[in-house]
Amino acid sequence: MLLQRIFASVLLLACIGLALMAWPYQAAFSYEPVGPRAFPLLMLGLMGSGLLYMIFRPAPIVHSEDDPQLDRETLTKIGICVVLLLVFAGTFEPLGFIISSILIGIPMARLYGGRWLPSVVIISLMSIGLYLLFDRVMDVPLPLGLLDVLEN
Amino acid sequence: MDTLNYLGQGFGVALTPYNLVTALCGTLIGTVVGLLPGLGPINGVALLIPIAFALGLPPESALILLAAVYLGCEYGGRISSILLNIPGEASTVMTTLDGYPMARQGLAGVALSLSAWSSFIGAFIATCGMVLFAPLLAKWAIAFGPAEYFVLMVFAIVCLGGMAGDRPLKTFIAALIGLFLSSVGIDANSGVYRFTGDNIHLTDGIQFVVLVLGLFSISEILLLLEKTHRGQEAVKATGRMMFNFKEAASVFTVNIRCGVLGFIMGVLPGAGATLASAVAYMTEKRIAGASGTFGQGDKRGLAAPETAIGGAACGALVPMLTLGVPGSGTTAVMIGALSLYNITPGPLLFQQQPDIVWGLIASLFVANVMLVILNIPMIRIFTRILAVPNWALVPVIAIITGIGVYAVHATTFDLFLMIGIGIFGYILRKLDFPLSPVLLGFILGGLMEQNLRRALSISNGALEILWSSPITFGVWVLTAIMLLMPLLRIWRKRSVARRAIADV
Repeated sequence: MLLQRIFASVLLLACIGLALMAWPYQAAFSYEPVGPRAFPLLMLGLMGSGLLYMIFRPAPIVHSEDDPQLDRETLTKIGICVVLLLVFAGTFEPLGFIISSILIGIPMARLYGGRWLPSVVIISLMSIGLYLLFDRVMDVPLPLGLLDVLEN
Repeated sequence: MDTLNYLGQGFGVALTPYNLVTALCGTLIGTVVGLLPGLGPINGVALLIPIAFALGLPPESALILLAAVYLGCEYGGRISSILLNIPGEASTVMTTLDGYPMARQGLAGVALSLSAWSSFIGAFIATCGMVLFAPLLAKWAIAFGPAEYFVLMVFAIVCLGGMAGDRPLKTFIAALIGLFLSSVGIDANSGVYRFTGDNIHLTDGIQFVVLVLGLFSISEILLLLEKTHRGQEAVKATGRMMFNFKEAASVFTVNIRCGVLGFIMGVLPGAGATLASAVAYMTEKRIAGASGTFGQGDKRGLAAPETAIGGAACGALVPMLTLGVPGSGTTAVMIGALSLYNITPGPLLFQQQPDIVWGLIASLFVANVMLVILNIPMIRIFTRILAVPNWALVPVIAIITGIGVYAVHATTFDLFLMIGIGIFGYILRKLDFPLSPVLLGFILGGLMEQNLRRALSISNGALEILWSSPITFGVWVLTAIMLLMPLLRIWRKRSVARRAIADV
């Protein structure tokens, strides 16, 4: 309940902020009666009123039985996973696809309970395989990054 | 007669060797994607969009590929429901109720092939329904102006909330989030940059693939972290793989009923396969009465939801193709794919590009036949795929998702945006918000705004145009009914509770 209230309040604040941001949107000159401002403001307004209702009357969340409660351990895992994904995005171009995916893939496999050796072997093979499959076979260009040297 | 003529032409497109191979690849990929935890039809179709584009497939082949993947996913979702008791998709929850007990009784192979057969009948009925009704609807929809379209989209959004039932407010908020997100980027009419924060990567708006993969793949990856410690043994599919004639005959009437029901539910916006399978199961349970062993491995209880899912999956394509208004998350993704190819679905599509429409419909028939044939010999391979552990699977899903996003624009900004959206999606999920309304709102948002502005330009700003024509008025009435539905349900639940208290 509390979490929902906090979430709704934050989203409501975001709505207000975005509405303020949208306020000055006006076409320099236009031939139509509805400008670029009306639709987003309408949506934000409706969303805001919905959120306001939720702050005062939050709906109870029905947990299914196999839905484990969030504990500290899971939260740290999720934090690590998010960091790994961010590292992936950050190193994708500079280090190249193969290196960055090996770099994040192995710790991620460990995070989901894999053992060291199989994780290293499978993720390394997968990274190289996926690169060959997408870049060479399917024409989806992927950056080589540091491995550029190997190509020539 | 015209229809049959066009259908023949469609089969001409679908049966070219190239498109047959495409459909075969699509069904295989789809089944595997549907089978894996964490990937469903929405991610599967979204991931393939940039790839189909990069491969340079012609539009009709790309569409056939996506439709085959879509059907394949619906097929694959059931395998884990029956063998593991874990639904692969939300819609196959009902399949676990009788499918898993059947598997436990040593009838795993029969359950799998019978459900494949049921799903085939459902899809077949729905595709026939589509052939009959889609052209009529398209002909009728030509009379729609921008005002009618706007109201129709309002109806589609409201339907989501009205049908979803238990959490209408959250559904609306989710849809509004999507509607709002669609307005990010440059405004086509006036050239004003909206909510871009001077970021050059956002001028184009949020990329549709980025939103889908963030919301569905990344949030699912994070959700799977909670379940790392638990593993479950799959029931071995041994013994007889094929159902016999008697078994098929015993569920035939169920198949017909649920196929028609599924088709109707699929056509209605917002209802979709999940609701269709639930309603089908409940109805059949009631019809069977005391003679049924529902919940303990009744074949009818397996056939009913599967047929309905097959019907609804095909039925959902009807509003998408004829009106250009998607009714479910997956068809919303397909609209996104079409717009990448510069194809605008809607009534005019039937006149201007009959090859694409009828090729797609014919390929649904083809893909269905392929799936039912493939399924029986391939079950052993599919069950082996189920044994792949999460630790090997999840990193690969994450990496492929990254490739899919990068393939759209080749910028790492999109990767960061996807992660951000994924975290937001995860929070929404944990707070029990449904995610597909966000997607539907995002797709409908742009269309809705354009049609609203066009309508008001026609009337020179007078709002009456939005409800003056009979069609718009009728749709508003339906919208009002849909809005009242959840209230009515709450009220009824309360009165039942009160009566229960009074009885005590």
